[in-house]
Amino acid sequence: MKIALINGSPKMQRSASATLLEELQLSISETAEVTETALHTSDISEDVWEKLKSADVWVFSYPLYVDGIPGHLLSCLMQLEKEKWQEKEIRVYGIVNCGFYEGIQAEFALTLLKNWCEKCGFLYAGGIGVGGGGGLAQMPKVQGGHGPRAPIEKALQAMAVSILQQKTQENRYVSVAFPRFLYRMAAQTGWRRWIKANGGKAKDLGKKPE
Amino acid sequence: MIHGFIPASNEPSAVLARVYDSDERTQAGAGDDGVYRENEEGRTAMKLIITDIEDFRIPVEGTYEIIKPQGEIHPCIGCFGCWVKTPGKCVIRDGYENTGIQMSRCTELIFVSRCCYGSFSPFVKTVQDRAISYLHPDFVLRKGEMHHKRRYQNRIALSAYFYGEDITDTEKETAQKLMEANADNYDGTVKQISFYTDARELEDMTL
Repeated sequence: MKIALINGSPKMQRSASATLLEELQLSISETAEVTETALHTSDISEDVWEKLKSADVWVFSYPLYVDGIPGHLLSCLMQLEKEKWQEKEIRVYGIVNCGFYEGIQAEFALTLLKNWCEKCGFLYAGGIGVGGGGGLAQMPKVQGGHGPRAPIEKALQAMAVSILQQKTQENRYVSVAFPRFLYRMAAQTGWRRWIKANGGKAKDLGKKPE
Repeated sequence: MIHGFIPASNEPSAVLARVYDSDERTQAGAGDDGVYRENEEGRTAMKLIITDIEDFRIPVEGTYEIIKPQGEIHPCIGCFGCWVKTPGKCVIRDGYENTGIQMSRCTELIFVSRCCYGSFSPFVKTVQDRAISYLHPDFVLRKGEMHHKRRYQNRIALSAYFYGEDITDTEKETAQKLMEANADNYDGTVKQISFYTDARELEDMTL
């Protein structure tokens, strides 16, 4: 069994999508062959095509964009649908991260992946909706199943088991182990620091260009 | 052929005929009686149409702006520059950076798009992705869930006209739920969702 880990974030580096795949890889790379690949833009390179064709399991990790799949990744999915895959039995898993606290907000972005699988003749094998993804790439990893990332790591470990046992799982929705009001406060403080770092003022966040 | 329909709940009150293209004004003028009217909020009712149809021939009643494929669109790169560098406007300058501002002027947002797995087409979705600046980065709780705060005060009624030869019932259901989720995010309402097998069927109706 060969597993393709597909980073569907438009960000080339330091994305939550990449962080989640790295965590998943820790649980599967010792017992299965893994190939890492990415769909950062609307173009699918020859290298990506080759990696996907060689794999039996595809794991997509991507951010939630306005309740759905980012436009560039949607374009890639349509291109993949047009390819002839009839002879391959491909199992597809999805990991969707969102900046909102509730992982359930990623539900429709996973449903779209499932609908795409039906069009392609692939088996949708389940997914994870991750809430609180905004700071995921910066959050420290704490050993022993503790820390703010713990519920997400647990869900990824369960997905790793499903992948290795070639099983289908129900979608799971998780959030960071961090109170929602603190997550909201931290995010809003972050926006103010960020705009000031760009030479603006906190009140500029609310500008209303017409 | 219409496969699904949500009855109108918020009919636009104005009937105007001032028509814009995204870059150039293609027709201009007032309504049949030569009068521009305002809606209940004191804003001129304006429809913003986002479509993947380049040769858009569907009649539209009233004032509208349209965003359609005119040159390559660059995908959102998740930089949040539209919130922390040029608040309210996307930093990618390719002709599609003002969608958030156009949304602030509209009373009705109409998507005319190929249905892709229950989603909009890549072009329409990319336009939508590039317009998160319509919202403020801060969070509010709405219906028990975290969403972004309003930047503007206009309340948008969302409509979607999906087309495609092989839209499944599951995809229709997904599309409907996605529109409702979009309305929650924009703090707006869903006015209508309908499905057609061919975009040309829409040319017989008026948006």
